[in-house]
Amino acid sequence: MGGHFSAPSSLSDALTAVAAGHRPVAGGTDLVVGTRQGKWTLPEDLVALDRIAELHGIVATDGGLRIGATTSHADLAADQAIRERWTAIADAASIVGSPATRHIGTLGGNLANASPAAETSGPLLCFEALVEVRSATGSRRIALADLFSGPGRTAIRQDEIIVAVELPELAGAGSCYVRLEFRRQMEIAVVGATAVVRLEGDIVREARIAITALAPTVRRIAAAESSLIGSDGGPAAAAEAGRLAAGAATPISDVRASLDYRRAMAAVVVRRAVTGAIARARGETLLIPASASTFGAS
Amino acid sequence: MVEFWHAQTFCAYLVARRRLRTCAILAPMTAIPPPALIRQDGRDKVTGSGRYAADLTVTGMLHGAFRVADVPHARIRRLDTTAARALPGVHAVITAADVPDHRYGAFLKDRTLFARDVVRWEGELIAAVAATTPEIAARAAALIDIDLEALPSVTDLELAARPDSPLVHDAWATYEADENLVRDRNLASRSTIVKGDAATAMAEADIVVKDRYVADGSHAVPIEPRAILAEWTGDHVTIWTSTQVPFAVRSGVAETLGLAQNQIRVIVPHLGGGFGAKCELGFEAQVAALSKAAGRAVKVVFSRREEFLLPDHRRERMIMELETGVRRDGTIVARRGHLIVDNGAYSMDEPFLGQLAAMFAVGPYRIPNIDITADTVYTNTQPSGSVRAPTGPTTCWALEQHHDVVAERLGLDPVEFRRRNLVHEGDTGPAGQVFERIGVLETLERAAAAVGWGKPLPEGEAIGVATGWWPSFPLASGAHLTINADGSGTIVTGAQECGTGAVMALPILAAEVLGMRPDQFRILYQDTDAGPYDSGASGSQTTFNNGRAVIAAATEVRDQLLELAANLLEANLADLELVDGMARVKGSSTASVSIADLASEASGAGLLLGRGSGLPPPTPAVNAASCVGRLGAESFAAPTFFTHAARVKVDRDTGVVRVLEIAAAHESGTIINPIGAAGQIYGGVAMGMGQALSEGIQLSADGRQRNAYLLDYKLQTVADMPPIHVDFVDAPSPTAGPKGLKGIAEPPNVPTPGAIANAIARALGTRIHELPMTPERIWGAMAANGES
Amino acid sequence: MRYPVTLQVNETSYPLEIEPGRTLLSVLRGELGLTGSKEGCDDSECGACIVLIDGRPVNSCSYLALQADGRQVTTVEGLASGSTLHPLQRAFLEHGGVQCGFCTPGMLISATALLRANPDPTEDDIRAGLSGNLCRCTGYVGIVAAVQAAAAELTRAD
Repeated sequence: MGGHFSAPSSLSDALTAVAAGHRPVAGGTDLVVGTRQGKWTLPEDLVALDRIAELHGIVATDGGLRIGATTSHADLAADQAIRERWTAIADAASIVGSPATRHIGTLGGNLANASPAAETSGPLLCFEALVEVRSATGSRRIALADLFSGPGRTAIRQDEIIVAVELPELAGAGSCYVRLEFRRQMEIAVVGATAVVRLEGDIVREARIAITALAPTVRRIAAAESSLIGSDGGPAAAAEAGRLAAGAATPISDVRASLDYRRAMAAVVVRRAVTGAIARARGETLLIPASASTFGAS
Repeated sequence: MVEFWHAQTFCAYLVARRRLRTCAILAPMTAIPPPALIRQDGRDKVTGSGRYAADLTVTGMLHGAFRVADVPHARIRRLDTTAARALPGVHAVITAADVPDHRYGAFLKDRTLFARDVVRWEGELIAAVAATTPEIAARAAALIDIDLEALPSVTDLELAARPDSPLVHDAWATYEADENLVRDRNLASRSTIVKGDAATAMAEADIVVKDRYVADGSHAVPIEPRAILAEWTGDHVTIWTSTQVPFAVRSGVAETLGLAQNQIRVIVPHLGGGFGAKCELGFEAQVAALSKAAGRAVKVVFSRREEFLLPDHRRERMIMELETGVRRDGTIVARRGHLIVDNGAYSMDEPFLGQLAAMFAVGPYRIPNIDITADTVYTNTQPSGSVRAPTGPTTCWALEQHHDVVAERLGLDPVEFRRRNLVHEGDTGPAGQVFERIGVLETLERAAAAVGWGKPLPEGEAIGVATGWWPSFPLASGAHLTINADGSGTIVTGAQECGTGAVMALPILAAEVLGMRPDQFRILYQDTDAGPYDSGASGSQTTFNNGRAVIAAATEVRDQLLELAANLLEANLADLELVDGMARVKGSSTASVSIADLASEASGAGLLLGRGSGLPPPTPAVNAASCVGRLGAESFAAPTFFTHAARVKVDRDTGVVRVLEIAAAHESGTIINPIGAAGQIYGGVAMGMGQALSEGIQLSADGRQRNAYLLDYKLQTVADMPPIHVDFVDAPSPTAGPKGLKGIAEPPNVPTPGAIANAIARALGTRIHELPMTPERIWGAMAANGES
Repeated sequence: MRYPVTLQVNETSYPLEIEPGRTLLSVLRGELGLTGSKEGCDDSECGACIVLIDGRPVNSCSYLALQADGRQVTTVEGLASGSTLHPLQRAFLEHGGVQCGFCTPGMLISATALLRANPDPTEDDIRAGLSGNLCRCTGYVGIVAAVQAAAAELTRAD
């Protein structure tokens, strides 16, 4: 049995380890579970990131937020700034896996795992988040839109670690993440949608719409966004955005749903996410997580 | 008749009822007040000190792993274990060549311990490996070199039933089988229920409704994946295993390995649930053989994936065609039905279950003319077998939807339709059984009332009801009871505790006979070398049969105590009673002696020992001459009746259903332990909700499971559960178990899917003909109906 | 390669040497002989293995044992004080929250985590907090009732 293991408290030690080919592990909720399911074998050499203080926590920046990579989903869901201003992230973080998974699973791990069904990816994409990655030789920022190159694949090099996610300021916006849920808890996105809107008066001035689990990576749908801009964001406009997003989706058929059902549900969840985001932009209350509170909504 | 080794409930039931010529009639008694009962095993379970089979370790123990077919149908061209044996750490590898060449099965002996020549489903065992660690065992199992020649896979149920289908078993005709089994090629068992003249009555009916329902198979999913540990001492083997039926395991190991039953001791540590999946001989014979070959103790622990893929007990897939003729006044005049039941690749108790399904396709309704056929057919899929109320929830789901369709065609309220057709005391059942005092109508009225049937509901909500029945199973069962020198009691029973609390509640019965408190008894159970025979935690039979045995054993001890007391108190035996831990002259507070003192007296000579079995009550006589495939379910002993009413809300855009409320009214005779009985209802409803909405085995075209893991085989979570109102209708039966009690564990999940289905149909105006009623299926049915 | 680690489980120190790939559950059940935590699935769906790590609920089947070095681990074996059951344990027995018992250790731990974070939970809070623990026996009714009863008792005691 070979295998190196370290659990450094400094980032530079961790970067040295990944430079030597050690695989980073945060909560283990993807890495170890995947191993147990036989999806892959556990990497020989591991470096645990959970003791590096500077990777953890949420701090306000110039109107925005900087979220440490090992911040847990539970911490995201409970953060007051996120709940008020980046609400779609709270919608998403509060429905990831189980309560235990939310306590131990991290934002950075979720991004590095690059699942097309990852809950937080859609909201981060719509908020135009930047992912800061660092290696022993330097650091760079990757726009979330450029992070994923396919299911399980990212633009992060093997010698790099995600250290933080930066959320730029987005004043006056309302946002919402909705996922289709077969059960009330313990679900995975079969179809999900994020909407972020900014209103001027009754008119939508800015709109970002992303679909989750409907393409090889989470992606924004420009046609749906432009159809919403300039509209009143009412039922017809929301439905039209949903129709356009569904049309642009490239879903698959698998054990969870057929292609046809996924496409039809894309229209529904996009419509509900848009309606939810509009409501929140207007200051109306829509409970977090939106997936539960939009059950049965038109 | 085939000599059955097999003691699982249904088979034992069959044997018992064929032999029964006499009966003991126990007078009904009124319900005793519920004592506060803390489970004897409870402290172990909440502190983590209780051991389950996977928790056990013995000195020198090796770890076992199985190699399975992983293809649905193939001929074995080559099987080479050389590389596996050569792996360091491997102590033994066994295949079919290393165990007796013997076919076994409950009604139809069609299977072997390991595949010989042909594999017939993906989970079929080919070899077993024992090694020093689980990892080495798994690696060695993978190193076994197997060359398989693919054969056509029989997956589709209707195609399987056709005469031109490829055969699952080429040599089917040579297999030994129960003399009453009607079979042909892929048809493993045909059972019919025939009464009157259904064809003529149907032709004369005012309205005839015919429809068709298709149900996926599903899984029992005990939270404990099974584990087995075998260790030999000379020619005697001890097997610690997570089984529901230790005595059936013992007889099964004896038959398949050529041992005497007293060479085998089966011990069940705490059992982490079963729900039918751990009935019958499981994998104990293979592990015992592996341990023998290795010369060491061997433990096998299943992963969840193996627990989905390898057992021979999944709930059967079914296709159900139902036809009902009614008069304009709503009276049913005829029922025809054709059920196709998936037997899977091999037969354990499934050939019997078709007959149960045929009875459920009649239901507890007055129907003068009946013609139902249930065909159980072989496929190249996982074997089916009893899972909590086998065939019950599935058939009830179809029948009760069918009844709502009939009611709708009649323009009749569904509750009123049932009210007009349910059986009453004195009515004649499907094959001629005459009903005694029963409470089925009350269950309907109370369940409907509890959810406010007929009252206005918010937009998008609706209520559905479903009514059904289930038999009790009178069987042989035994217990010993001792009063120790200090006055404490010990019950030694063959009964098995699977979590329901049925064994834990046995002291209630003993205590009442002996005038003691339930907590004064300690129970020793689930060890075949300790307690006398019992058929196991199966068929909802423990309290029904072992309760009778414990009462009989306690009664012997009571007589011994009273005799001692009569001598000491110089009183007449007939004037004595046992009350509050004392033997006393009835009504007297002074002429008394404590049971502890009597026990002390007896410890010198004439020990206080009781043994009990008692005779099972009879099964109602039938006139079933026109039925074929009679395997013992043509009449239901001490049938229980029940109605569930479900209030649901459906998301019309997605097809997602939320169950908002369930009312469960059950007539189960007398309730002995109300908390325990309610616990059975709650759990049954949860399992029924799962089968209704989210639990279904998805098969590939060639019969392999596609969702053999919990994320995509979805149980209901605590967040999904609605309020459940439980109501027991008290109708003690003179021919039921002790005190007029009936089985309670299986019935509660029978009517839940049907009630939910009818609620969905009323909410949407669209009926769902596939089970589980997943969001996608509901969405698809609405789309086909011109919505969306 | 094995690494030295000191696991703090139920306020007892266990110095060990273990390989990096070992899960906390396998070490608890194996080297430590604490078999109360159960293994019920492969994909963190059943919750039977949940333990507390520094007070937070974690599926120990998917958590590397070495990551627990120096952290406080609480398993079901650590809930009672000597022979006195924790109010949650007692409530599970009194309210029919225990049947087969296989989910019970994980349920008790999730309930402990819930009540520490939220001493006065609503029924919905309880249902959300326990949703990562599957039970096949009870329909969860007795479990929810037990958590409500224990919460009331613990709140009164404060």
